[in-house]
Order: sequence, then C-alpha cells, then structure tokens
Amino acid sequence: MKFTISQEAFADGLTNAVSAVNPRSTLPILSNVLLQASGDTLTLTATDLDFTVRTKVQAKTGKQGSTTLPAKRLSTLVKDLPKTEIDVEVDAKSVATLRSGAGVYKIFGLPEAEFPGLPAFDGAVEFKLKSSDLKDALRKTHYAISLDETRYVLNGIFFSFKGDKLTLVATDGRRLALAEVNDLEIPKSQEREFIVRTKAIQELMRALKDDGDVVVRLAQNMVQFDCGPTTLISKLVEGNYPNYVQVIPTKVNERVAVEREALLNAVRRVSLLNTEKTASVRLSFGKGNLDISCNTPEVGEAREALVIPYKGKDISIAFNPEFLMAPLRYLSEDEVHVELIDDISPGVIKINAPFVYVLMPMRVGGA
Amino acid sequence: MPRPASPSSSPRITSARPRRSSRPTAASAPASAKTKVNNSPDSGESESLWAQISSALRGELGEGVFDRWFSTARLADHDGKTLTFAVPNSIYQVWIESNYAAQVQAALLSVLGAKRKLKFVVEGSTAPAAAPAVAAVEENEAEEIRPDAHGLNPRYLFDSFVVGTNSEFAHAASLAVAKSPSRTYNPLFIHGGVGLGKTHLLHAIGHHIARSKRGAKVAYVRSETFTNEFIQAIQTNSLVKFRKRYRQADVLLIDDIQFLAGKERSQEEFFHTFNSLFEGRKQIVLSSDQPPSEIAQLEQRLVSRFEWGLTAELQPPDMETRLAILRKKADTLQVTLPPHVLEYLAHRVKSNVRRLEGALLRVASFASLSGRPLTDESIEHLLRDILQEEARRAVNIDQVQRKVAEHYDVRLADMTSKRRPANIAFPRQVAMFISRRLTKCSLQDIGEAFGGKDHGTVIHACKTVQNRMDKEESLRQVVKFLEASLQR
Repeated sequence: MKFTISQEAFADGLTNAVSAVNPRSTLPILSNVLLQASGDTLTLTATDLDFTVRTKVQAKTGKQGSTTLPAKRLSTLVKDLPKTEIDVEVDAKSVATLRSGAGVYKIFGLPEAEFPGLPAFDGAVEFKLKSSDLKDALRKTHYAISLDETRYVLNGIFFSFKGDKLTLVATDGRRLALAEVNDLEIPKSQEREFIVRTKAIQELMRALKDDGDVVVRLAQNMVQFDCGPTTLISKLVEGNYPNYVQVIPTKVNERVAVEREALLNAVRRVSLLNTEKTASVRLSFGKGNLDISCNTPEVGEAREALVIPYKGKDISIAFNPEFLMAPLRYLSEDEVHVELIDDISPGVIKINAPFVYVLMPMRVGGA
Repeated sequence: MPRPASPSSSPRITSARPRRSSRPTAASAPASAKTKVNNSPDSGESESLWAQISSALRGELGEGVFDRWFSTARLADHDGKTLTFAVPNSIYQVWIESNYAAQVQAALLSVLGAKRKLKFVVEGSTAPAAAPAVAAVEENEAEEIRPDAHGLNPRYLFDSFVVGTNSEFAHAASLAVAKSPSRTYNPLFIHGGVGLGKTHLLHAIGHHIARSKRGAKVAYVRSETFTNEFIQAIQTNSLVKFRKRYRQADVLLIDDIQFLAGKERSQEEFFHTFNSLFEGRKQIVLSSDQPPSEIAQLEQRLVSRFEWGLTAELQPPDMETRLAILRKKADTLQVTLPPHVLEYLAHRVKSNVRRLEGALLRVASFASLSGRPLTDESIEHLLRDILQEEARRAVNIDQVQRKVAEHYDVRLADMTSKRRPANIAFPRQVAMFISRRLTKCSLQDIGEAFGGKDHGTVIHACKTVQNRMDKEESLRQVVKFLEASLQR
C-alpha cells in the first residue's frame, strides 16, 4: 500500500480516530488505527469495540491497500511533522515507512485482518436532520449528563424521535436540560427512543459539521451517526430513561427576561467568593431588580445587582453557581427567561426556542 | 436499574467476629430485645405511619412539591432500620433521592424521633414478599450477638475494657482518639498479640464516636473483608461505589491490617483510601498483630504512613490485670467463684485474654452444672487442654539451639562442638544467654546441653551477650526477635 497525504489532513483524521482508542485496551490490535487507501481517500478507523470512529481524508493513492498502525504513536508523530506532503508506504510485513522532507520513519504495524469488523446497519431505522440543528441541541443539553456511575441510565443523552421532532434530554437528578429539533418527518412506525453514551456525545459534538446533514441509523443496541466524512458508531446505554416530564414544572408564578451574558458574568464573579464546600449563590428577585449574592464564612461576601423588568412578588432562591452558569454558557441567545414558583421550588430557564432547563434550588442553612 | 444507596446511609459494615459468637453468654440477651424487627407490618399500620410522615413532609416541602412528588408514593415496608417507599416510576426514585432525601429524614426525625435508612423502589419491582420472612428468622437467631448499625459488637465498650499496665497506653490513646477524632493521633495504630483486646479497643472507639457525634459515619472493616469487597468491586465493575463507601467515612476502623500483606492491588487501593481520608482530616485507626515495620510484604509507603501517627502496643496482661479481668468477666456472666479459683486461673493462663475468659466460662459452667465444689485438681482436669497449650509455650534448650542455629545459619552440631571461631562461638553464646533467660535450667544443665561446657562458660557467655546488647541495638533486636519467635 502506498499513498501521499498532506500533513494537516492526516493529523486531523488521526485526531478524530484516536478519540475512540482506549489507552488501557487489553487487545493490542485495539490500540491501532486501521488505514485504508483507495482512490483519492484514506479511511481511518479506530474502535474500542463499544465505540468506533471512522473518518475519511483526502489522499493520493499510489497503491491500494490497508494496514493498521499504533494509533497514539502515529498521531503524535504526524502532528509534529512539518506541514508538507507525507509519503507513506507499507510493505507486506505491515511495516510502514513515512517520508516527510528529510525525515524517514519506520513504524511496525499489525496486519489488517486482525482488526475487528464494523457492525452492519443494513435495514436499520434511519433519521436525517440538519447537522447544525443536532449540534446545537447537543450543546444545549450535554452539560447536564450525570457523572454518577451508579445511575448508569443517566450517563448519556436521551434521544426521542417521536411525532415530528427529536427531543434530547440530559439530567443528573438535580437539574435537567431538554432541547428539541422540530420539523422532522418521522413515520409512526419509525418512532424510536434510545440513550447515547457520554463518550459518543462528546465525539459527536466534535464530528458534527456546521452545514450539511447528519444521518442517524439505529440497529439493535447500536447507533450510527453519519456526519459526512466522519462516522461514529456507539453502543447504546441499556435500560429505560426515567420519565423526565414529571420534573418540568407545569405551573409557574413569575417570569422575567434577563440578559444572558450579564447574568452569567455576575454569577461567575460572585461565585468566586465561594469555597468548594459551600458553593451556592443567592438570587433575590425584587421589583425591577435582581440581587446576586453569596456569603461564605471565613472568606467574605459578594453582591451584584442587575436591572431587570421584574414585576412579581419578592423571591429569594439559592442555586449551585456551576449548575446555574452551565446553560448560560452554552446558549447563544441574548436573552433568557427565568421562571420561578417560590423560594424552594425549582427554577426554570427558557429561551425563545424549544429549550427547557430545570434547576433545583439549594437549601441554605436549613436541611 | 441498580438502586444507589440512600445518601445518608453509612458505609456497610461487616458482621460480628465469629470466634466470639461461638461462646454464648448469659448476660447480654435483654439489651437487644428493644430493637426487635417488625418485618411484616400490617397495611393499616403502614398507612397510618405514612399519613403521619406525609403531613410532616408536607410542611417540610410545601404543598406544590409534595403533591408533585409524594402524593403517589406509599410506604411499602418498614422495620427498625429501613423505610422502603414505593414510587410510580424511576424518575421519582432519581429525583427524590437526589433532592428530597434530607427533607424526608427531617420528617422522620419529627415523627419517629430518629433517622432511618431510606429506600425508594419503583412500584411493582419490589422484592418478593418471601424474602423478609427468611431475614426475620436469621435475625432472631443472631439476636444474641447481633452487631449494631455500624457492625460493631455492642459488648465491646470502653467501660468493659480492663486497663492494666500492659494496656494503659493503648487504652489512653484510644480514648483520646474517640473523644476528639482526627485531632490528636491520626492514624492510631494498635498492635499486640492474639486475644489482647485490639478489636475490643477498635469497637469501643467506633461506639464512642457513633454515640457522641450524631451522623458521624463510622466504618469498621476487617482487612480481609476490605480485600474481598475490593475484588468483588473489580469483578462487578463497581469500583466507584466501593471507593465511595470507604472514602466518605468520617472514621475508618480497620482490623487485622496484617492480612493485607502480599496483596498488592488491595494495598494500593488502601493506600489511596488512606490518603484521601487523611487529607480530609478523617480519623483512621488500624490494628495488627505486629508493629507496622515488622509486617512482611507490606509496601514501604504504607508502613511509613502507619508509623506516621501514634503506635500503641498491647502486651499480655500481668497477674493483677488478669485477676481483674476475671472478676469483671465473672460479674458480667453473673457467676460467683471462690477467690482461689480465680487466682488459680490467673496464675495458670497467661498468654491471652480470650483464652482466660474461655477457661473462666468452662469452670463456671462446670460448677453450676455439677454442683460440686471446685478444687485445684478438678480445675486441672477440666482445663487440661488449655493448660497443656500454655505449658507448650515453655521453651527448652533444644528449641533455643535450633532457632539460633537457624537464624545465624550455622549447623546445629556447632552448638555443641568445641570449635571456637567467632562466627560459631558467638551464636553459641547467644543461645546460652537465651536458654538462661527462657528456660528454668540451671547453669550446669545449660553447659551440659552445649557440649559439656562448665557453668563458668555459661556465665561468661551471658555476660558477653549482655554487654554487647547494652551497646548494640542490632543485637538487642535479634535477641528480642528470637525470644519472641520462641515464645510464640
């Protein structure tokens, strides 16, 4: 096998593929990346058996063929090579020779035959949507995924293709983020709900382009995201996602629009006077005014005021600052709507788009 | 879906020591009757309890939250320790556990006057009803020695520990730790031979802290259990849960740490547990049958950490302490024995407290069953196996010679030969010295046993070794080690 490729394209492709390699893999072949040269594309594939990344980059094939090379080492090397063309040649014993400028590198690989095959998605249920829509919805929800491995159904994002929309939900038990992609055509027989693992979500967000479409294919316990040059295949999280609808308050008492960046900045500054143990900021809503404050014994206290068009009754409610800032960081709208019930009920953040964030208040002082 | 432990639950802990449980005692039965478990509450009782809890909870949470999350819940099961609530589906379970566990506890506190373990299960997935019945039987059988919530034996208290000169220091250190955990001595390392009260002190610390500090998480575990649970966690891929259990303890009591020797992965895991607790300023108490530096195959970094805090040794009790222990034990067993019998026992059984108590129990039950007066002969007969064991510990010259020859790597024949190169002569002198100290043999006999030397040679040997011991720490160590291994 023989091909010529630009350093940038090769490094990009490898960075994508390496994300699937488990550094602690027990099978040597799984530390390798599969290279397949044919025509003017080089296909790179890496897998840990549960999660697979396959990505295509441009290359000039001299002689068609395939091999596997140690992913981590190859990727580190290629990233460090000068930005010129790289000639790659692989002999029958899977030894690869890289030539870049005056440098010659020989790397020992393993034959392609040992590399595990990819799961087939023949006859799978298929959904097609705009790449940017999915990316945006993922950005709005991914931060609420639970890291607590004891509740493993929450270690991922819940995908629900139902009606004419895709609903994404993530929760860790103290907050919940929901975003929707509307105007999809989903036949009744193709409605599906499944949970995608955290790792796949992270890589998916990187792989999704800002233009073009993404195709989601669902087979048995596997999902495939086809995002143009890069395809991700991941095992699903088994189990049933909790019925999240229960969490979203149906009746709220107060509603006010707040400037997103101003709120984010104020909360961030105030929370600087928190310690790790006592992380909480208090939001006091009064007529036309929002006070953001925190008081940490032995550290100090902070207070900032925002002018807001609030007309309801006075409400003073405490939140975990990280949890409050997370959606504000990942939203792009200028304005968010904060909805409240009372001092001890969950707060809700909404925007002028299908998005809901429910956040449980903290009980400071009390229980 | 696996149910995560409720956030307030303390680390799960192991059962009582089996070797204690085999000995029934008369005194402690009534104390635990109060905690008798009600495993099959009739539904009416459950409902009225739920009604009380829910009205308290309503006040705690407010109308809106209560209606949303608790109006469809019901109390499925309750016993002295755990309340199980059935909820309609998993979101209730997740959300209530994450957000409202503290409020439910507060409501329980006001209704029942005490906190309980909480369990939330999804309606319809409750365990089959047969299970509690089995549990009830087991609990009744185990009632006598049932450990309390922390897995600590309720009889092991500071009050029931007899302090003598042998244990004064260890007792004082333990008491100091129990009174102000993680302030004074951290870690506390208690070591001593079999049956001298290491476990007793460990449990006593646990009890004291659990009683004086509400909500303190006391984790008592034997190192073997620690290892087993660690292995299981690896197998079932639940290391996170395992770590959580131990690293969130306020007080970690680890018994028989010497069993970690040679188990490298467990040592590594324990090392990290130790560090995270220590950094979090949590109290750690360890026990072992040897001082840290003498536990073979224990990693150096663990040894150095164990030596970091306070090391306290428990020694075999002296005559007076043994007598005091016997009197105390006789009191708790509610038996009266003539003083001469107690003295006889204290005199004859020296090696460990457990054996001493066993001997007392045997003599006491013989007296009450046979109704015959106790004479020295009858006791001798009754305790012949124990006394034989004790006697076996008497050392003879032959054993000393073997041990010393083995230690210095010389031939046994050299012990009795007339050759006098320094590498043979000195071990021989050490062997004479130890024989003089540990056996009842006369100088003459010792000389005879070492190849027909006269008594002057033996005196000279003893003086030489004593002189060198005064100067050389290494020799002191060797002699101490040899004597200890001979007496074991």
